[in-house]
Amino acid sequence: MKYILFIVLATFSIRLAAQQKQFSKDDSGKFIYYQVVDSQTVTKDTLLQRAKAFVNVLYKKTMHQESVSDSSVSAKGTTVIDKTILVAGHPSGEVSYQFVCQVRNGKYRFWLTDFTFIPYQRDRYGNFVATTQIGTPLERTPGKLSAGAWKDILNSTYVKIEKLGTEFKKFMATSRVVVPAKKKSETISTKQW
Amino acid sequence: MKKILTAIFAMASASCALAQETTTSPLEISGSVDTYFKYDFAKKPNNITTSFASDHNSVSLGMIDIALKKKTGKASFVGELSFGPRGQSQSIPDAAAGGSSFNIQNLYVNYDFTDQFSMTAGYMGTFIGYEVISPVGNFNYSTSYLFTNGPFQNAGIKATYKFSDKVSLMAGVFNDWNLYSATRGVSAVGGQLMVAPVEGWTAYLNVLSGAGAGGYGTIEDLTTSYQITEKFKLGLNAANYDIDNDGGGYAGAALYPQYAVADGVVLGLRGEYFKYKNVGPVQGLKYTAVTFTANIKSGGLTFIPEVRLDHSGDKPFFKESGAAAPNAGQFSLAAVYAF
Repeated sequence: MKYILFIVLATFSIRLAAQQKQFSKDDSGKFIYYQVVDSQTVTKDTLLQRAKAFVNVLYKKTMHQESVSDSSVSAKGTTVIDKTILVAGHPSGEVSYQFVCQVRNGKYRFWLTDFTFIPYQRDRYGNFVATTQIGTPLERTPGKLSAGAWKDILNSTYVKIEKLGTEFKKFMATSRVVVPAKKKSETISTKQW
Repeated sequence: MKKILTAIFAMASASCALAQETTTSPLEISGSVDTYFKYDFAKKPNNITTSFASDHNSVSLGMIDIALKKKTGKASFVGELSFGPRGQSQSIPDAAAGGSSFNIQNLYVNYDFTDQFSMTAGYMGTFIGYEVISPVGNFNYSTSYLFTNGPFQNAGIKATYKFSDKVSLMAGVFNDWNLYSATRGVSAVGGQLMVAPVEGWTAYLNVLSGAGAGGYGTIEDLTTSYQITEKFKLGLNAANYDIDNDGGGYAGAALYPQYAVADGVVLGLRGEYFKYKNVGPVQGLKYTAVTFTANIKSGGLTFIPEVRLDHSGDKPFFKESGAAAPNAGQFSLAAVYAF
């Protein structure tokens, strides 16, 4: 009996370990990270302002706004993925993506799709740079030789995109306050008392 | 009232957002190891005298290479050490007798004054030429005559201005080639113009003038590569080196077409013409070389089978018997792991 129990537990553990998060696919078969968020009482205009600020201010170095309407904003962005060696690592490539956010009163949705990967390689100065300008779609089925490395790229990309999505939701949920002006420190005179 | 609130929100968003920008990167560690087997058809080690892979009929070492990089704010450094035949006496100056003292391939600091302007000072991989010392940076495992006879490293200080993603300009002052410290003062000036006319095509126009191998001279160099389609890439390197007072020099050109035949498998060809310049009545030797190379990649490992055939009417090569020969050939297998 205890052997049967052990086998059942071992099989269950293996299945759990094998379940890593991965991208869903849209109608056209492209990987997509899609979220619908209920913002309760926040107005459409406020949500749109926050979405535009996220793209044009917070992520201005890695995202570029492509279009904006009265209820949506779209942008193209890139994120660098890393290869970790023990406690340190280095960039292994970059993934470009398409970002779209659509807003309504009290609700918004956003998605990231059109992921393409460009590998990095170390140049003569020890810096990691893109080896090509032509990206490879993440949906591509890898050959046997690169299957392991491609799986790592997919996993690293998902982690980065999920983190970006979480940051975006946090940004959209936070109402902004004016940063108070810095107070001058008080100088104490010992001459008069 | 609504406009005032919108304006306040916009300004506050900018303030909060600026506070969230991160400007420090973690320590980056990278490197490579490589090993090779080479068989010279005349059974002579070092029959073809281009850099590295000099042994014959031996499973031999290339190098182990480790690079550190860190950026904090606008300042960064790179330190790169290498050990092994390729990474020591065959590629860097060795101050100690018998070799193996500093083992440094790159050691420099960089400061980004703005997003466009930066300055770098220290000992750096050279900006001249298509091929590099690290086997990770080359498609072919053997090297060209242009690479062998050009500079490997430059110690100096340089400034780079990035006009746009398509154009940048570098200018600097340097020590003599391939030396940790100058023997004739900081006596070389160099510059590089980078242009990227269309997506996938990058060209570098380089010039270095001053103390180098053989004396004072000037190198003009064109290095360019074009990823024409997803599968086909074409590279070109052309250089001319004149040593002052008719002291010689060299000129040459090499073409590098590469084609991806399958996922992880690329076939390439290097065709090179190289000529040493005449020195007085002494005629410079001329070489042509054709190299067929495959890169078979799996993760960080690249397996490189290669066949190379060189020709020179001046007969600088050797037959198995020891007699002078106009032709030389070699077959090699190399394994390079980049991490």
